[in-house]
Amino acid sequence: MSLIFDTLLVATLLWSAWRSLATSDLVHAVVMFIVFGLLMSLAWARLGAPDIALAEAAIGAGLTGALLLDALRVSNQTAQPGSLAKIPALQRMAVLLISTVLAIGLIIAVLYAPLPSIQLPSMVEANMAQSGVTHTVTAVLLNFRGYDTLLEVAVLLLALLGMLAVAPARPVSVSHVPIDPVLATLARLLVPLMILTACYLLWAGDHRPGGAFQAAAVLAAAGVLLHLAGLLQAWIRPGQLLRLGLSAGFVLFLSLAAILLTEGALLRYPPVWAGALILLIEAGLTLSLSLILAGLFLLLSGRRGVP
Amino acid sequence: MTEHLIDPIPWLIVLPLAWAAATFLLGPRRGARLAIAGLGGQLLLALLLAAQLLTEGAQLHAVGGWDAPLGIELVADGLSVVMLLLTQSVTLSLAIYARAYFAQTGQGAAAIWFWPLTGFLLAGMNALLLSADLFNLYVTLELVSLAAVALVAAGGGRAQVTAALHYLLVSLAASGTYLVGVALIYGVYGSVSIATLTPLVQASTSPAIWLAAGLMALGLMAKSALFPFHFWLPPAHGGAPAPVSALLSALVVKAAFYLVLRLTLTVFAPLAEAGADLLGLLGAVAILWGSWQALRATHLKTLVAWSTVAQLGYLFLIFPLLAPDGLALQAGTMQAVAHGLAKAAMFTAVGVLVLSTGRDTLDGLAGVAGRVPLTLFAFALSGVTLMGLPPSGGFLAKWLLIDAALRQGKWGWAALVIIGGLLAAAYVFRVLRQAFLLAPETVRFHSVPRSLEWVAFGLAVASILLGLRGMELIRLLGIEFAP
Repeated sequence: MSLIFDTLLVATLLWSAWRSLATSDLVHAVVMFIVFGLLMSLAWARLGAPDIALAEAAIGAGLTGALLLDALRVSNQTAQPGSLAKIPALQRMAVLLISTVLAIGLIIAVLYAPLPSIQLPSMVEANMAQSGVTHTVTAVLLNFRGYDTLLEVAVLLLALLGMLAVAPARPVSVSHVPIDPVLATLARLLVPLMILTACYLLWAGDHRPGGAFQAAAVLAAAGVLLHLAGLLQAWIRPGQLLRLGLSAGFVLFLSLAAILLTEGALLRYPPVWAGALILLIEAGLTLSLSLILAGLFLLLSGRRGVP
Repeated sequence: MTEHLIDPIPWLIVLPLAWAAATFLLGPRRGARLAIAGLGGQLLLALLLAAQLLTEGAQLHAVGGWDAPLGIELVADGLSVVMLLLTQSVTLSLAIYARAYFAQTGQGAAAIWFWPLTGFLLAGMNALLLSADLFNLYVTLELVSLAAVALVAAGGGRAQVTAALHYLLVSLAASGTYLVGVALIYGVYGSVSIATLTPLVQASTSPAIWLAAGLMALGLMAKSALFPFHFWLPPAHGGAPAPVSALLSALVVKAAFYLVLRLTLTVFAPLAEAGADLLGLLGAVAILWGSWQALRATHLKTLVAWSTVAQLGYLFLIFPLLAPDGLALQAGTMQAVAHGLAKAAMFTAVGVLVLSTGRDTLDGLAGVAGRVPLTLFAFALSGVTLMGLPPSGGFLAKWLLIDAALRQGKWGWAALVIIGGLLAAAYVFRVLRQAFLLAPETVRFHSVPRSLEWVAFGLAVASILLGLRGMELIRLLGIEFAP
């Protein structure tokens, strides 16, 4: 049964990827890309990685899809309706050849890979008691390799900053989005539920799949939904308060990492406090990451119509 | 473990992150003084780290108190610390320059988020130079690349944003191939720690490690703009504001080279011989092609950007020459430092020339010799380093490289170094000759703040003096990490 399901999943995954690449219609390409993201998240779930599945669905399919659709709408307003220029046959062949060689290489490499002599999962298990949490993914992300996460949060903040730097706010009046009554009612019903879900995901991260990234993605989606329903204005520029919100999670994380240097190493939690500190960091990250992710959409949206 | 009052390794990463966030909080166009203070602190930290290395040997910091392979380790050996010293000193000079430059150019859109972007760039650079973990290195590469792309695109017109977009796409594809390589290595060996992996790969190589090494090398070659992946560099570095061009050409492209060198010396040491000649050959083509394009350039900044393509070629010449005597390694590091200082000097000098004449073309240079002589002198001095004339740092680098080639009887590489030096002389003299022509009566010059001229001059003098103090750096470079 599961073999049939998996085969079907892989086949549709490849099919949606191919459709997204091969079509000359941009809308179709974007829709197929979103389908690909959702199928990919199913694949992660089948591979036993529910944390990645959640992130893939929320960010890979949801938020990226929304951004792509918004970009399409803007390009339709300013330029000719989107369709892709035909790529020369020679280039197509070259890309196809490189991809095929790479795919064969990867398949051979994976097939002939010996079993690793080092088993990190067992080391993680052995140190779970000192980690402060009971879910291994959270222990790795916030404790054993918390430094990676600290830098990743900097990358996300930097991405937003880069976007602001490339498209500085111009004094244009934002066109008021007309309120769609059906969408507005739906948003009024859904958004409280989404906030509740985010709180649950944040709390669950300590002992089961969930955590700051997933919670933030749900909150950001709520923000995007409110905007699309006409209940939330696009953001023109990050004022003092918004800048504080965007960077608070990162600043809190960084400050704690530096304060914990008194324990002898960057981000070295005392085992007694580890659980509480990780929850504190995750709460801060949920707030800031949701603002950053929503900001990618809402700040870009505020620039609509700028030539 | 000896107790120190302050451990410079984590602070070299925390400090730039802190001032990046603080300048973001301060708001658009603010934070220059804070950034300069932070960079001053970082330079002191790097010097402190160098002193620790000289007295106690290489340093290790296990983040979170978790040793590898479970946790992430930061390691400071001679190679890291030399690059850290270069990074902090060049950026501090460029920050002082940028503050005056943006004040002069009327605080254009490029200046709005310049300081936080530079802070994140520096944090990424320092984290990259200290990391001893393949996955953590990927995160630092992302930090460096995204910040660099944003700095190129910031406030630019259509051409500049297009150049930045090409840079972004190349960079993302390169990060992707690097990450696939890391995933393969983790799948086969079960670890991403360099110290853990090195003996494991030494003991047994599998098909996966060859593919991983190829993919990672490909990604890093694209990021370091090695021929034939150089195409994104001239428009990106030639189009950005002068302080940004200087930062990118002097430091950012070297980060990827540093990583190729680091991996060749550790994890991929058993495989290195297979790819060394190819890397050297591409470096050779880069020297010839980059110099040729610099000779044909009609715009000043484009000329200097093509010169970067050529000078990066020398860095990759060292791979076929790497030997236990360490000469080629010293040559490569010396070239990275000398070029870092000289190219920062050259781009800052060109920035002054462009502000002074109001044009970026070579033709527009006529008469600048009488107007901004100090800047022109700085340009000439940095040119001396690029040509490799004594007593500059560039001379020391090329001397070491030729020495390494001759000891192994590889005459071809030595000849190439000399030809490259002659080509560099040709494109530098093209600029100087034009600058000494008399200006037409109609040309009007703009006045330029003296501080801009002095920064360019200081960097150029440093690139020359490096040749005299090179032995200290080579001694520092000799300090290796012994786990």
